[in-house]
Amino acid sequence: MRSVSKYFDGGDTVANYKLDMEIDDGEFVVFLGPSGCGKTTALRMIAGLEDPSDGEIYFDDDRVDGTPPADRNVAMVFQNYALYPHMTVRENIEYPLKVRGVPPEERDERVAQVAELLHIEDQLSSDPGEISGGQRQRTSLARAIVREPSVFLLDEPLSNLDAKLRLEMRSELKRIQNELGITTVYVTHNQEEAMSMGDKIVVLNDGTIRQVAEPQELYRRPRTTWVAKFIGSPPMNLFEGANNDGTVQLDGGNSLPTTAETSSPTVSLGVRPEDIALSTEPPDTDWTVPGTVKTVEPLGEYVLVNVEVGGSVVNVKVSHTDAGPGDPVHLTFDPEDAYLYDENGELVA
Amino acid sequence: MSVESYLEDRLDRDVDGEKLTAILVFMLPGLTLFAIFSVGPMVYSAVGSFFTWNGFDIGQFAGFETWVATFQDDAIINWSNLRALEYPMGALPQNLIWMLVHVPLSTLLGLGLALLFADLRGRSVLRSMVFLAFTTPTVVIGLVLLFVYDPQAGIFNELLRALGLEGQVRNWVQEPQIAIYALIAGGVWVQTGFSMLLYSSALAGIDPALLESARVDGAGRFRRFKDIIWPLVKPVTAVVVIMSMIWVIRIFAIVYAAGGPSGGPGGVFSVLGLEVYQAAFSTPIEYSKAMVVALIELVIALPMAWYIASMD
Repeated sequence: MRSVSKYFDGGDTVANYKLDMEIDDGEFVVFLGPSGCGKTTALRMIAGLEDPSDGEIYFDDDRVDGTPPADRNVAMVFQNYALYPHMTVRENIEYPLKVRGVPPEERDERVAQVAELLHIEDQLSSDPGEISGGQRQRTSLARAIVREPSVFLLDEPLSNLDAKLRLEMRSELKRIQNELGITTVYVTHNQEEAMSMGDKIVVLNDGTIRQVAEPQELYRRPRTTWVAKFIGSPPMNLFEGANNDGTVQLDGGNSLPTTAETSSPTVSLGVRPEDIALSTEPPDTDWTVPGTVKTVEPLGEYVLVNVEVGGSVVNVKVSHTDAGPGDPVHLTFDPEDAYLYDENGELVA
Repeated sequence: MSVESYLEDRLDRDVDGEKLTAILVFMLPGLTLFAIFSVGPMVYSAVGSFFTWNGFDIGQFAGFETWVATFQDDAIINWSNLRALEYPMGALPQNLIWMLVHVPLSTLLGLGLALLFADLRGRSVLRSMVFLAFTTPTVVIGLVLLFVYDPQAGIFNELLRALGLEGQVRNWVQEPQIAIYALIAGGVWVQTGFSMLLYSSALAGIDPALLESARVDGAGRFRRFKDIIWPLVKPVTAVVVIMSMIWVIRIFAIVYAAGGPSGGPGGVFSVLGLEVYQAAFSTPIEYSKAMVVALIELVIALPMAWYIASMD
């Protein structure tokens, strides 16, 4: 497969609405979105388990919508692994080969290879019911990999694992994908997984694509206020204000100079919690907003300070602070770290 | 081996003597009823079958006399007709033929309908319609069969006429060589509802992701059935098959309603249940024969009941 391009135009009002995207060969793409956003439906349409009600899907230059899943050369890993309970781990892994009429000697060889790759050689003769969640996950991955598919589809594969195992499998998955170079579509609602694994992240909400970007760009330059508020923990702070040619009149009273140009009368200024500095003395800059500390949460790695600014709460991540609840403070940030969104929530600059 | 030491072997290790006594005490009422109403009559017939009877009064010890006589009775096994494969073959072979035809048919039909209805809109209505036959009293089923096969008004013959098969029109339950199959069809109609219901719930229990996964793995409709669905409904198949075998061996009301106590003309579709009834309740009363036939039924059904009960 040289270049995978998929284009769908799902007309289904409930699930997906006019999705347009292209996935390059060998890319690790993550569909990220809250539950019910249509990411799984999108994946199932790629797999062929669901037919798009409108629009077209292409693998390379071949139109595949309408092609049954068996003929698409896709492999899928399901959220609950979907291992065949009456077959051993080995039989599970070799099933797709068996169905495709691969001769037994070759089957054995390939099963041995993937079992080694996934470190489940010792479990091959066990039943799925006898092995741990992590091993089940690996078996399910092995079953998908053994076919050497051109597209690898993963539907929240890590959500049923405990936290430690999830972390382990995350890097494992990434390693395998790097090794095999198979085009991968990964569905998750966990942004950490998305950020750490994806070459490209597709943010979905209400069945539509909100942004397609590399993880860093997605984090650094969220294109809409919705994405800004969705990505990051805690998410980006948004200061509401009015647009006065060249300055932003914040609801809190302050006026901040801006270089971005927009005709929108009301705007919001987005700043990540870690890009805000906290001081008790008024700083010598225009980019500052006064507020009152509400709560201070020391989290070890950093201290999360909730500051009340003009009626809304702003999250600030600092390494250390002397301020306590009720103290008046000043929030400052670099204009470089602030993003201006217009009244429709679109990024201006 | 005493009961206590036997139980101790079979129960969990941490069951001590005190617990064991409690268990036995709590089991006592159930065991008593079981002994009086199940084991007692079985033993009573087993013993009684070796005696002569005057009506319902026990007579002298007769050894295997009744057993031998029963197996030589044309109503039970008609050896010469059996060799010629002609009906009437006697109640025992006929009952076994019934089993042989009825069980696979009703099982496969039940599975087929369950698969067919699985993804269908309005499946609950369709299922209820099929299951209705199982809830209908079997006597009524027998009467309905009489109507269905009636040469003048019967819907089956009417269907044949509509298909242009006038020559095939007949009274199906009076035709010696065919009548039993006409009745088996009725039995299948009843039992299919039951096996469909069991299969439906087994199918509903299969994780849809398994079938989707198999689809992505490249399995077509037939392979999905053979590799995924069939192995997963196999335990239910065992239940369905044995339950319908037991149902057939006990069959009575349909046959009685369709052909009276003789089991059709010359007993062409007589079954064991009917022979027990005849021996015990119609003159001349042959109580020991009734016991022998009932025991034959029991011997056939018991291993199956045992198998079902010991399934996990």
